[in-house]
Amino acid sequence: MLSQLLFKKRNTLQFIFATAGAFIGLTALLLSVQLIQDVRGFQSADGDLFGPNMVVIQKKVTRLTTFGMNNTAFTEKDIAILESKDFIENVAPFQSADFKVGISEVIGDGLPHFYADMFFQSIPDDFMDVDVDWQWNEESAFIPIVLPRDFVMLINYGFAQSQGINQISEDVLMAARLTIHMEGNGKREKMIGRVVGFSHKISSILVPENFLSQANDKFGSGKKMQPGRVFIATNDDSYGALEELMEDMNLDIDKSAIDVAKIKTIVSVVVAIFGTAALIIMLLSLLGFVQYSQLILNKSTYEIRTLMRIGYRVNEILRSFMIRLSIIFGVICLSSIGIMLAIKFLWINVFLEDNGIPAVNTSVLLLMITGIITFIVFIGANYVNIRKSIISLGQGS
Amino acid sequence: MKFELQHIVPDPLKGEAFLADSVWNQKVGFGSPEKILLNASSGKGKSTFINILYGLRKDYSGALIINEKPVEQYSIHDWIELRRGDLSFIPQDLQLFHSSTVLENLILKNKLTHQYNESIIIEMLERLGIGDKIYQSCGTLSMGQQQRVAIIRSLLQPFTFLLMDEPFSHLDEKNTAIAMNLINEVTEERGAGYVLTSLGSNHDQTFNRELNI
Repeated sequence: MLSQLLFKKRNTLQFIFATAGAFIGLTALLLSVQLIQDVRGFQSADGDLFGPNMVVIQKKVTRLTTFGMNNTAFTEKDIAILESKDFIENVAPFQSADFKVGISEVIGDGLPHFYADMFFQSIPDDFMDVDVDWQWNEESAFIPIVLPRDFVMLINYGFAQSQGINQISEDVLMAARLTIHMEGNGKREKMIGRVVGFSHKISSILVPENFLSQANDKFGSGKKMQPGRVFIATNDDSYGALEELMEDMNLDIDKSAIDVAKIKTIVSVVVAIFGTAALIIMLLSLLGFVQYSQLILNKSTYEIRTLMRIGYRVNEILRSFMIRLSIIFGVICLSSIGIMLAIKFLWINVFLEDNGIPAVNTSVLLLMITGIITFIVFIGANYVNIRKSIISLGQGS
Repeated sequence: MKFELQHIVPDPLKGEAFLADSVWNQKVGFGSPEKILLNASSGKGKSTFINILYGLRKDYSGALIINEKPVEQYSIHDWIELRRGDLSFIPQDLQLFHSSTVLENLILKNKLTHQYNESIIIEMLERLGIGDKIYQSCGTLSMGQQQRVAIIRSLLQPFTFLLMDEPFSHLDEKNTAIAMNLINEVTEERGAGYVLTSLGSNHDQTFNRELNI
């Protein structure tokens, strides 16, 4: 009876407009959240697009370098400059072997006889982009080695063909053991190594950092070596800064790493724009709905005031409003979520799958949470506003 | 229920001279179970007086003390509790819900405290001669009929004091007497008091006290 009295004067047209406004606002908000989540989903589906951007940098080799007049090593000062940049989250110089390295087959493991001079480098474990067992200690049966994938390609599609020898699959390469010959500082030693993985990103022959440190101590000249290559981890939107750094320090950066940085920068800008738009839309639809309840309040001024004069408590009147608004807004929220789910499953997912991108469904939960949070915020904002209005109507003049 | 007025002067009457026995600018006290008549011609502030006592107007100087507590200390919530269980009111403009029926208006009030059951309410309506208007919207009733609805509504709650602002202005003598009897019955039964404002008539009643403006 109370809510009948309070909502009797509702103007149907205004009600339809306010409800439609809140519905469209909320649907737009959910759509934005959905898109942001999907974009983030694409990022995590591909390691290259997720998390900090790992970039290998080295100084450009110029003619002067070739004549020995220019050094491509990173000095301590260079490293300090890199560390001071805001967009660089982490700096890790490559450690190089300070001794002679060669590899040959282990007889009986199926590889043809060969011997090749080699080099080793290592990077901090955090920067490894291949998921392999990278542990090494003196009791280990072999030294794990990671080769660049390009290296295998070069052997199989270049070297092997031209020399008329068989191509080697990655599996065979990983199954075979290698003899590692190390020489330096008047010492010479052979150890067993094994290829445990292939890296897309790092064009170097990598061994575990602790192994290389020990080997350098043993076979190295003892001279402190300045790194020629440095691994940096950059922020998502660092494309501009990275390019500037390239100019300033005369750096040589892998083109694909630059492209990834560029894509990530664009994606993060787009995501930021979407996020801002979503926030504005949510605030607008919140305002619209508060306006709607204010409209009902204004139309029911006489009723609210009179009810308090005949003994109705503020909370009794407020409850009546809140129940009605919760029902209306609950229906709006549920319809918005329903429509968004329909759009996601019947349209977005189909579109993504047609284009070969796996659809991510974590955003369904996020959609629900966003809906619930919006509901709570809307109802909360209305509660505060309506309560204040009712009390001010109840105060005498 | 106890009222104490300490030199109250409503803002619109500031600067006017008041009689020595006026309720304005004097120290006046009253309360249940006194039956009081406030008799004055129009424009002297009868409604202002009633509205101040009911907490609807605050534009005055001086102090009003209700049940030993200054009204400044009453929050809106305190006022509502007072209006729900202690103090009832028939405003001059009646304040009915015009789009609701007679019965809906009364039930809306009665269900706050469940003072009477519906059959007693209908009996009251019949007694005041509007038993046939139960399902009619209040907006379609004559002023006299509306007054009778407002009178009944004021009785549908517990109270120890009743404020009535010209409640019979649209009723003939016969209907006034019937309504007055009902009011007297209920107030006596509850040991309650009242203030009745009137435009010069004492409605053939004897009052414990008369106040002037």
